[in-house]
Formats: sequence, structure tokens, C-alpha cells
Amino acid sequence: MLKRADTVVLQQLVKLEGLTKSYAKAVAVHPLDLSIQRGEFLAILGPSGCGKTTLLKMISGFVHPTGGAIWINGQDVTTVSPERRSTNMVFQGYGLFPHMSVAQNIAYGLHIRKTPRAEIEQRVREAMDLVQLGEFADRSVGQLSGGQAQRVALARALILRPEVLLLDEPLAALDLKLRKAMQEELRRIHLATGGTFVFVTHDQEEAMALATRICVMDHGRVVQDDVPEEIYAHPKSRFVSTFIGDANLMEGQRKRNIICLENELEIPHKGPDGNVVCMIRPERMEIAPLDGGKLPSGVTAQLTARLDHSVFLGSYVKYVVRLNDGRRLRIDSRDLSIRQVLTDGAQVRIGWRLEDQIVLADGS
Amino acid sequence: MMPFTRLRALMLAPSSAIFAVLFMMPLGYFFVLSFWRVRAYRLRPDATITQYLAVFRDYSKPMVFTFILAFTIAVVTTLVAFGYSYFCRFKAGRHGTLFVFVAVLTLFGGYLAKIYMWKIILGSSGILNTALIWLGIIDKPITVFLFSPIAVLITLVHYTLPLAILPIYGALRGVEDTPLQAARDLGAHPTRVLFDIVMPQIRLGMISSFSMTFIFCAGDYVTPLLLGGPHTSMIGIFIQSQFGLRVNAPLGAAMSFSVIALCLMLIAVVGLAVIRIFRARP
Repeated sequence: MLKRADTVVLQQLVKLEGLTKSYAKAVAVHPLDLSIQRGEFLAILGPSGCGKTTLLKMISGFVHPTGGAIWINGQDVTTVSPERRSTNMVFQGYGLFPHMSVAQNIAYGLHIRKTPRAEIEQRVREAMDLVQLGEFADRSVGQLSGGQAQRVALARALILRPEVLLLDEPLAALDLKLRKAMQEELRRIHLATGGTFVFVTHDQEEAMALATRICVMDHGRVVQDDVPEEIYAHPKSRFVSTFIGDANLMEGQRKRNIICLENELEIPHKGPDGNVVCMIRPERMEIAPLDGGKLPSGVTAQLTARLDHSVFLGSYVKYVVRLNDGRRLRIDSRDLSIRQVLTDGAQVRIGWRLEDQIVLADGS
Repeated sequence: MMPFTRLRALMLAPSSAIFAVLFMMPLGYFFVLSFWRVRAYRLRPDATITQYLAVFRDYSKPMVFTFILAFTIAVVTTLVAFGYSYFCRFKAGRHGTLFVFVAVLTLFGGYLAKIYMWKIILGSSGILNTALIWLGIIDKPITVFLFSPIAVLITLVHYTLPLAILPIYGALRGVEDTPLQAARDLGAHPTRVLFDIVMPQIRLGMISSFSMTFIFCAGDYVTPLLLGGPHTSMIGIFIQSQFGLRVNAPLGAAMSFSVIALCLMLIAVVGLAVIRIFRARP
């Protein structure tokens, strides 16, 4: 399953067994099994309210599960309070101590553990170097920018060398540019420390950029758990296909191994009879002018459509086309020349290779 | 910038005027008065420290007693107020502000009404004694409750509590939840979180609650007069009588300024101690 990590010896660090949390009126997390390997960078991805933060808080000990067990490094920690767990957390909003300096914030965990002063000083310096905060030691926390506060929170958690570092929407509060820079930072820090990171996010791009493995959650359940490439290429449900990346969906029916799409295109596909959804990624679709244009060879599924509009995005062009039944599809094409011969409203031929389509059972 | 400073001056004017005319001027007058003398029931301008020597000579005992009792009341009130505010901020959920509002609402009961209420409760045929006799715990009424420093302590704690809750609750409202969780996550036991993270952030609120209560109690002369009995000789009673029956305003003024000076010193000491105890560590 773990393609990237197959060179290292896999070692299970965290194991969740039938972990569940329900509140008076709703179930936040349905019984869930999950194991996290040492050294992994795991993303728990899902829309808000999907139970991902509850899951993270159960691992950290702030939320008591209604059922199930949490094992960390071979120990059952289900009933262990947060201060006695070998996990540390980077909180959403950081939760820095406002009355302490940067260095005092970072040193706090070691101070609690009664670490000798000389060692505290040395490890604080190391942690600050790791997150590149060297010259900020005596700053008060209120004077920091969002990105700097984020680094302090990271250093404060990392200094304790946790078995698992938990990150709750770590980059959500930062602006786009800073977010990209912090993604780089997190990747570098993960490599430098060799630690196990688990982070919660609603941002699929962030999950793809950082994680070695993604757990997609929806309505309190893990709906797909795999490496990012697999989740993108082979989503198991309609939800996953649209939540991760952009997707063109077309509904249809399968009868005797032939799918009849609602726009009357017929495609051979093995499987049980019933309603299905065909998913094709925008960058896997091709487009050409209806008269005079030709789709590349191998593009066997073809339809005519009308060009709604196109947007030039530098390295590619985004075409939005409308099918006869009114459905809009998106096509990303690197062929910039087509745009010059196509005007909005023009008739176009669109298509895809059969191996690029994903057929999902409808209702998934 | 000009219009802004002018506007600011304009906004400050009413409060400054009130403060100057109704507070600083009388205070200044009495300060000057404390260096005068009284001869044949008449005020004689002078520049003598006789009155202060008299305060030191004749009134050190009630002064010390007053400060011990006021300090005790202020400490008790501040601690109880902290407990109540802590409950409202962290345990009462959405109803926290409502609980504080209810506490403040009790101020409408009025000062004298509370004093008489405690008189009814603590008296020898009062509610407390009747209840204890009815329960069979005692067979004769206990008289130590009323007309004793304990009665003064209970009444003043009760009266000043809402005033002490406000600054502490206000400070606690400023304490965010995430840092408290973060501290636990970093290994701090809940008690440790209280002392390391909560207290340093609300120490000014604690100090203002303590100061307000302490100043009020050190200067009070009504409660000790009505509930304190013969052994509760608080300085406020003596000051009041200098301005009244004894017609010795200079001595009364000197006593007042001695109390003010000692209050400020004690508050400074307590304040510095609290700031030092609850400083950020390490």
C-alpha cells in the first residue's frame, strides 16, 4: 500500500481499533480502524464537520472516545490524559502562551519535565534553529506574524521529541504565499526529524503537497485511505473524486457490460447492471474544433459540445464546454493553439481515452 | 493629529473636572487640615505634625486591628471571587455571564439591608441559632456570631464579593482556551496549568479585586459599628467620631491620611508579591 515507504521497514506506531465518538445528538466518528506507521506523514482530509478534528483530539487525549481503543507504541493509551501521552500537538490558532517570550514558550514542556537548565537552553536553541527562528528568542509572542507564531508552535511541540506530532489545520490561518512556504518548511522538518506527523486539513492541495498517505473522511467515516497518487487516480467514490481534484461527472446506466451515458454515448465496461457515474479528470480530456479539428488517436469516447468560455492560465487553458443536455464539463489543455481558432459558442468535439475514465457506482 | 488630541482632551474634560472638584480639592483641603490644630472648638491654621504623633500614640492598636481584619476579608473575598469567576468562565458554559450578572444583581440589595439581614441570621434568636437548636446540635444560642469580628467578616465578604468578581471575571474572559490545552499537551497537570498559564494572565485582575475590597473594608465604619460589638474597634469608627462628636477634624484628617498611606503601602507590597509569584517561568 505504501509505495514511497517500501524501502524502509514498516513499523506500526499508532493503532486505532474501532474508535468511535458520539455526542447526544450525532455521531462524530463512526467505529474506525486505522494504523499509522513510524515516519509517516499522514493527512486526515475532509470537509468541515467530517469528524477529522475529533479524531485528532482523541489521539491527543482531549476528547474521550465513546468506544474503541488507541494504541501508541504498543501501549493502550485510551484512558491516559493528554499531559501523559507521547503525542504533541500544533493547535489551530497555535495557542501560544501570551505572557511568555518565544524562548519561554518553546522551553515550557522541558521546564515541566524538570530538564536541567543547560540542556533546556541547548535544546531550545536547536529547536529554534530547526524552525529558523534563531533571532526571535526574547520577542514577546504578541509581536510575531502568523508565520512566525506557527513556527513557535511547531518548535514548542517538536522540542519534546514526540512519538507522534499532531497538527490541527496547521496552515489554515496563513495567506497563500506563506502557506506554500510553510508547506516546504513542514516537509523539510519532517525529513530532518524523521518523526511521525499526522495532520488534519480540509485543503486537498495541502494534503497532496505534504502527505505520504491520505485518509479521506466524510460524515465520520474514512472513505478512502491511500497514497495521494492512488486517491487522485482511482477515487473510490463520487465524493472522493470531487473532493480531491476537479472532476467531470456524467451519469449513466450499465446494462450487459455496456454503459449508456445520459448523453447517449455508449461505452463498453464490465460490471453489474445499475446506475453508474463516469468520472474523467479535466486534464485527461481532449478538445478540438468540430470542423477541421481532430482528436488524438486513442480518444475513442467522443461527444460534440459547445464552447462556453475559455480561460488562459499560463501553462494551460481551461475550457468550459456545455453538452447538449446542458451539463458543463471542464477541460484543461496544454495545447494553447486551439484557443486561437475557437471563439465562445463554437461547436467543438471533446473526448477521452477509455482507460482514463473511472466508473463509480452511483450514490457512492 | 491636532483635532484628535483636542477631541481627546474634550472627552477627558468631564471626568477630569469631576475628579478635580469633587475629589482632589476636598482631599487637598483635608490634607492641609491634618497639619492644623483645634483650640477652644475652633480650627487654627498651623504646620504641626502633632496630629500624626497622636495617631501613632493613641490609635496604633485599632489601626493594626483594622488592617489585619481588612486584609483577612480582602484575601477571603478575592479567593471566593476567583472561585466563582473561574466557575463562570470555565465550567458554566454559555451561562457564565448570566451567573456573573446574577452576582452583580445582589448589589441592589443595598448595604444596610445586608447588614440587618446578617443581624437577623446571626443574632442569638436568629435564623442560624434557631436552626442549630432545632437540629439539636446546640441547646443554648451561641452568641459569638453576632457583635464580633466574625460577623463583620461575613457581612463584608458578602457585600464586596460582587465587586471583587467583576475584575477577575473580566481578566478570565481574556484567557483563551487553546493555550490551556496546549499547556496540558506539553505535559502540565491541570493544577500546573492554573498556576503557570491562567494566574499570570489574570494577576492584575486579582490585584484590583484585592485592592478594592481592602480599601473598602479598611475605611468602613458602618458594619463594625452595627455588627462588630465592643471588641471590633476599627479605625473608621474613630475617624467618624473625630469629625462628629469629638469635633477634632485635624486629628480625623491625620487618621484618614495615615490609613490611606498604609493602605497604599500594603497594596503595593501585596501587588508586587502577586506579580512576582505569578510571573512567567522559567
